Amino acid sequence: MPQGQDPLSLPKVDYQEILRDVARSMVRLKRPERLLKLITRFIDRTFGLSHTALLILDQKNDRYVFVNSRGAKRLPVGLVKFDSDHPLIQWFCGARKKLSFQKDFLFLSDVKKMLSRAEFRLATNSKGSHLTGIQKAMQNLNIELVIPGYFKETPVGLLMLGGRRNGRHFSKQEVVFFQTLANDCSMAIKTAEYNQSLIAQNRELEKRLKEIETMRHKEQRTYYEIMRSLAEEVHAKEPNIYGHISEVERLGLMTAREMGMELTGPGKDVLSAALILHDVGKIGIPDSILTKPGPLADDEWKIMKTHVEKGAKILEPLTDFKKVREIILAHHERYDGGGYPQGLRGDEIPIEARILSVVDSFHAIVSSRCYRGGRSMEEAFQELQNGAGAQFDPIAVDSFIRIMKKEMHKKGVGSMPFLLENGLS
Amino acid sequence: MIKKMLIVDDEIEICEFLKIFFEDRDYKVATGFSGEEALEKVASFQPDVVLLDIQMPGMDGLKVLKKIKAEHPKIKVIMVTAVETGDKIEEAMRYGADNYITKPLSLEYLEKDVQDKISLFAKGA
Repeated sequence: MPQGQDPLSLPKVDYQEILRDVARSMVRLKRPERLLKLITRFIDRTFGLSHTALLILDQKNDRYVFVNSRGAKRLPVGLVKFDSDHPLIQWFCGARKKLSFQKDFLFLSDVKKMLSRAEFRLATNSKGSHLTGIQKAMQNLNIELVIPGYFKETPVGLLMLGGRRNGRHFSKQEVVFFQTLANDCSMAIKTAEYNQSLIAQNRELEKRLKEIETMRHKEQRTYYEIMRSLAEEVHAKEPNIYGHISEVERLGLMTAREMGMELTGPGKDVLSAALILHDVGKIGIPDSILTKPGPLADDEWKIMKTHVEKGAKILEPLTDFKKVREIILAHHERYDGGGYPQGLRGDEIPIEARILSVVDSFHAIVSSRCYRGGRSMEEAFQELQNGAGAQFDPIAVDSFIRIMKKEMHKKGVGSMPFLLENGLS
Repeated sequence: MIKKMLIVDDEIEICEFLKIFFEDRDYKVATGFSGEEALEKVASFQPDVVLLDIQMPGMDGLKVLKKIKAEHPKIKVIMVTAVETGDKIEEAMRYGADNYITKPLSLEYLEKDVQDKISLFAKGA
């Protein structure tokens, strides 16, 4: 019970200020130990007690352990525990509402008073032995006052205070102040636990997402490989275009680099994939049309032209390659807007598709396709230049021809196996 | 009857705290901060019961236990351990430790156990 309420005997403490400080640090701290130690140190210094200790619930082991202990009668931290069924802990558990006075704090002097009355009536019953247990525990640790901090109905922390070194009793105001601190402690503990579990959950979630991402990536890789081999198969059906796919890829990348495009990471992968897979839609074109030796009839052309949409459709499962689909869909568009399927013009056509259009056409020209004889390099360049601004992006054509000439000058025609194959040297 | 107890722990604070705790309960208490000191005190102080920390730098609790049990088989020895030393507990029990207590400990249990061992010692069991 609070005693000696002489305001002059109070230490000069700005309680409000301290409580505000504590509340502020509580929000900031992820680990509560520091705040709990701060609180015990503060009490120890301000009030000059023989012992100031904080006991907190270790839920996993169903016990209470000391996080801090200060003062002349302090305990070695980590030595002593209280099991949850200890009488002192039990005193603060259960239906505390009914006995709110006794459950919110407990003075050793009150325990002694109760025991002196109980000696006659309660000595043999369980409450008597409980009180004896509490008295012993408090005396063992030199504790005069115990103040619980609750979370819901559970005391998650117990502030244990020894007597003042000057022997003065605690005032009611001080007890209320300690109660606030004790409840701050339990809030800090619970907040930290909550944060910890959130962090753990987040980590778990991140791990799962990564696993899913890896799986998805692997799946897409597999799909891509299948598409690649399908694309090669398509071209294998068309005679005399040896190495079309890998050459289109190589020439396309070369041209893009010459045009100053950033060719690292995903950007390069996308362009590469588009160059490789550009005709994958031909899987859906009947062989009779695909391998027809003479020119195609109008209705056959109509079918042939659908290969760009078919290609885009086939690649839909590659969610990483949305851009690849756009390029493939647009690789038969013309710079002047006269192409198919959408009739896009100029900059509306993705730059990659404009490049693809040039290198694909070039390769078609120099290859001995079934409906044409092979033509010389210069003729091929000339044809591209004739189409610049109409069928082709003039800048793409210029860049392509420039880099081709550079390459041939540097390495000779031998660096282009398909040219040798077609007797174009 | 005088109850004599030796407390051995390399943490001086623990020795001091437990010394006062048991002195308040009318024990005569000696302390030792190392294995070597423990053996000296066993010889000079002749305790009934020894509270012996397992993990100490230098000569550890297990070696001390073996020596005590070899030279003074009647002295009761209670090992004090940390949770992480599970395998050492088994070893200690094989060497004849009379009980073990895990840190953090319950003071009530410790007091009762020490009292029990003193009674056994008095009976010469």
